[in-house]
Amino acid sequence: MAKMSTVGLSATYGSGPVIQEVSLDFQDRSVTAIIGPSGCGKSTLIRCLNRMHETVPKARVTGQVLLDGNNIYDQDPTQVRRRIGMVFQRPNPFATMTIYDNVAASLRFNGRHSRAQTDDVVLKSLQAAALWDEVKDKLFKPATSLSGGQQQRLCIARALAAQPEVLLMDEPCSALDPISTAKIEDLIFGLKREYCVIIVTHNMQQAARVADRTAFLYLGKLVEYNDTKEMFERPKEKLTEAYVSGRFG
Amino acid sequence: MIPSEAPVRKAFSAGLAELNENMTTLAELAELAIRKAAATLEEPVAMGGGDGKDVFTLDQEIYALKQQVVKSAVDLIALHAPVAKDLRLITTCLEISTDLDRIGRYSKDIVEITGMLGSDVHAPAAAIGDLKKMGDLAIEMVDRAVDAFVQRNAELVADIVRRDDPIDSLHDKVFHEIIDRIEDRSISPRIGAEFILINRYFERLADHAVNIGLHVTYMVSGERPRIKGDLSGPSPGSLQ
Repeated sequence: MAKMSTVGLSATYGSGPVIQEVSLDFQDRSVTAIIGPSGCGKSTLIRCLNRMHETVPKARVTGQVLLDGNNIYDQDPTQVRRRIGMVFQRPNPFATMTIYDNVAASLRFNGRHSRAQTDDVVLKSLQAAALWDEVKDKLFKPATSLSGGQQQRLCIARALAAQPEVLLMDEPCSALDPISTAKIEDLIFGLKREYCVIIVTHNMQQAARVADRTAFLYLGKLVEYNDTKEMFERPKEKLTEAYVSGRFG
Repeated sequence: MIPSEAPVRKAFSAGLAELNENMTTLAELAELAIRKAAATLEEPVAMGGGDGKDVFTLDQEIYALKQQVVKSAVDLIALHAPVAKDLRLITTCLEISTDLDRIGRYSKDIVEITGMLGSDVHAPAAAIGDLKKMGDLAIEMVDRAVDAFVQRNAELVADIVRRDDPIDSLHDKVFHEIIDRIEDRSISPRIGAEFILINRYFERLADHAVNIGLHVTYMVSGERPRIKGDLSGPSPGSLQ
């Protein structure tokens, strides 16, 4: 069974639908990429997956989003967001907090933990985010002292500290240089051993590099969903062919 | 529907067009080489003259153009990260250019032998007749394979594959005919060996035509036929 699914998912911000009747399965321990031109609804789709879409006034969702077979729209949103972590386009560490506190914040939002427990989670999260070696000697310096790529990995560590089951990434490398991008991509490759990772990306080559399966959205509709290798070698739909070949979008 | 304002990726499209043009020229040169090589069976020429000389020149031109095709293909992959149909076209060009290069090389090998044998060799008439038939069939197959590539027409490929069996049969027949003539001493072992080589070269030329056909099938459909039988219907196929 898929870790997560959308069933006839549609979303609107009050006017016309931004995504329409999208049904997708996301497998556990794998990376799924969502690609499509600007305005196709891919960011809206990923924001529906942890109920962030509904935080926008007039936004509305119909259909279902299933996590382990249960509709997340029937559950407590805070609890849903603990199980489904998210990393955003621009690194957004808590600017007034230290590196350590940024990661520990996820725990503090989820009840009280001993110092030893917190230390352990911070260590493991920073290691999982491939950042530990770079920050272990400056854990109590401001998060903003880190480079953009390091800040993004810190945000990933923060998301992992909440021990999510699914990790959503909305264009996590679009503000990063190529070296930082490569580090995040290596990280994603490792994270899929333990998590269901869903990534929205503008960069088709990034989707080709990191994703096991890829979904192509256009004008709010799912055009094609396939193994990434198939999608980039022999797409079924002409529209997909034109998009992945860079002929529109 | 694909948006009408879609960019055409001008630099990439120009690179693909140049690659395609070079491939078409390469295919035509290879086809010309095999035609001229086969013609030297009809009219054996002295080493270094007539059609034979042309084939030597063609072989060099084919090799040079193949190198150009490989360079263009690598540049396109490195600079434009092609995918889907574009990627299949470029990788197919890389593969087919090797087949076409081999066709040029075998044509030259045939001419080397016919030029060395000259017109005063008493070749076994039956074998010569069958070799000419093999030459005609191989030319048809290469011609059809080139058409399939140029027209992006995978439907022609089944026809190419079907023609390969008669060539294989003729190859066996000619081989035994020449062995018989060597054994009854109507030709020397050296002359016999040279004709066995020509026989082998024509059979290999046909195999390269089949390879081109299989590559075209992948280029057009994205499906990789693993065996000839995948394309030639219910008749038994052989591993490629």
